[in-house]
Amino acid sequence: MSAAPIKIAIRGLTKSFGEKHILRALDLDVRAGESLVVIGASGTGKSVLLKNIVGILTPDSGSIKIDGEEVVGVTGHARDRVNRKLGMLFQGAALFDSLPLWENVAFSLMSAHRIGRPEARKVAMECLKQVGLQKENAERFPADISVGAQKRVGLARAIASGPEILFFDEPTTGIDPVMGDVIDGLIVKCVKELGATALTITHDMESARRIGDRVAMIYEGKIVWVGDVDRIDSSDNEYVDQFINGSIDGPMSALIAGNEGR
Amino acid sequence: MRLLQAIGSVFLNFLTSTGRLALFTGLSVSHIVRPPFYPRLLLRQIIDIGYYSLPVVGLTAVFTGMVLALQSYSGFARFNAESAIATVVVLSITRELAPVLAGLMVAGRIGAAMAAEIGTMRVTEQIDALSTLSTNPYKYLVAPRLLAGFIMLPCCVLVADIIGVFGGYLISVHKLGFNPAVYLKNTWQFLEVIDVVSGLVKAGVFGFLIALMGCYHGYHSRGGAQGVGSATTNAVVSASILILASNYLITEAFFAQ
Ligand SMILES: Nc1ncnc2c1ncn2[C@@H]1O[C@H](COP(=O)(O)OP(=O)(O)O)[C@@H](O)[C@H]1O
Ligand SMILES: [Mg+2]
Repeated sequence: MSAAPIKIAIRGLTKSFGEKHILRALDLDVRAGESLVVIGASGTGKSVLLKNIVGILTPDSGSIKIDGEEVVGVTGHARDRVNRKLGMLFQGAALFDSLPLWENVAFSLMSAHRIGRPEARKVAMECLKQVGLQKENAERFPADISVGAQKRVGLARAIASGPEILFFDEPTTGIDPVMGDVIDGLIVKCVKELGATALTITHDMESARRIGDRVAMIYEGKIVWVGDVDRIDSSDNEYVDQFINGSIDGPMSALIAGNEGR
Repeated sequence: MRLLQAIGSVFLNFLTSTGRLALFTGLSVSHIVRPPFYPRLLLRQIIDIGYYSLPVVGLTAVFTGMVLALQSYSGFARFNAESAIATVVVLSITRELAPVLAGLMVAGRIGAAMAAEIGTMRVTEQIDALSTLSTNPYKYLVAPRLLAGFIMLPCCVLVADIIGVFGGYLISVHKLGFNPAVYLKNTWQFLEVIDVVSGLVKAGVFGFLIALMGCYHGYHSRGGAQGVGSATTNAVVSASILILASNYLITEAFFAQ
């Protein structure tokens, strides 16, 4: 369809925890500059998928290429070099609670990019402003702010080093709908300003529609449908239909009966 | 058959965790010597482990020295060997009691705190976040703690040596009526460099082990608050046992003929 090159190419990605087979030969392409949203029920392995891509987990088998470069099995300095292209917002924000907010945001600048503290602080203040946080908050600690504000800081931390690829793990889960709307708006704005490629995982359809250019649906360790976001209501895919309508009857009833991760 | 299976699986588990610990130790130590370094973090740990442990370690030492003087007086009076008290106090303190007791106290204080802090970082995905920010958790979290433990426990023990001897002096001079000058002379007379040095070597090893257990159990904790709780317990218990066991080995290496 489009001529955009493939930024992330995933082939045959497989990951099990003991007897639990989470990802089963999953294939997925993310095109440069697009915002792809992976939807799926809780516990279907969405977070596991992201963690395999960013190198927190190691796949049992399969290939993941970022800019054509194989990253499975890459560790140490080579991995750090790959990760410098990436930014990630965690499901629970995962801010460092021993550091004030600005140091959280400036973390990779000071630690990985070896930029001096005053300089890094300036960039961090800029990023905090971008996500709508006042200057006065910079010296506060993560435990002293609301969950919504923590997500904002997590977003600021993810974009601080100007990454080429951004990952968002359930950006709107656990916060109220209004704040969710705000976070989605910020994500769209930041991704656009950076010109970055974005991969978001969520089970929140509202959020998926707001963030995504394309949507992929994960079920039983595989991608069962991929398509443009405006085609999602006419996908003719029984899994997608069941998921967006939230109905109990459908091909995913096994999941509802509690047989997930067989 | 069942029994064999059970023994086999316990043995396998033991091998797995030993291997995992060895790997963890090797990786962490390699990060102590390879740049980039984090002097800020090292300084924070040095203050935490060294400076803030001083009150606990000092109190332990002063009471131990006092008790030691009292006990050896009541024992040695039976065969008119009271003059040996000063020597007994200084040798027991420097060789054994200061490093072991300080080690156990610091294991409770620092080992537990490290396991809880790193364990919480693990279960709240902060450690995962570190690696996505191109920062190696071994280098950032573990290496400064190991190094600070290794450096600072000997410093604490050196202070404990002095305070412990002072405790013995207090009791001997003020309660038991010894001549201060004679007591101090007796303290110095039979003290050799190796007595103090062996104690400091022990302290270095203990400090390293305490930090290692705290980091290792914290790093591998899972399953929310409960997991962090058991990591903390495991860190203190395993550090204490390792301290007692390695104390024997080091003593043998130094003093066995
Ligand atoms: N480190 C791990 N060890 C064992 N099981 C795991 C681990 N991480 C995730 N799982 C399991 O993988 C499954 C998928 O988890 P996850 O990817 O977090 O789901 P979600 O799609 O809600 O993000 C769950 O059943 C979870 O228990
Ligand atoms: Mg998840």
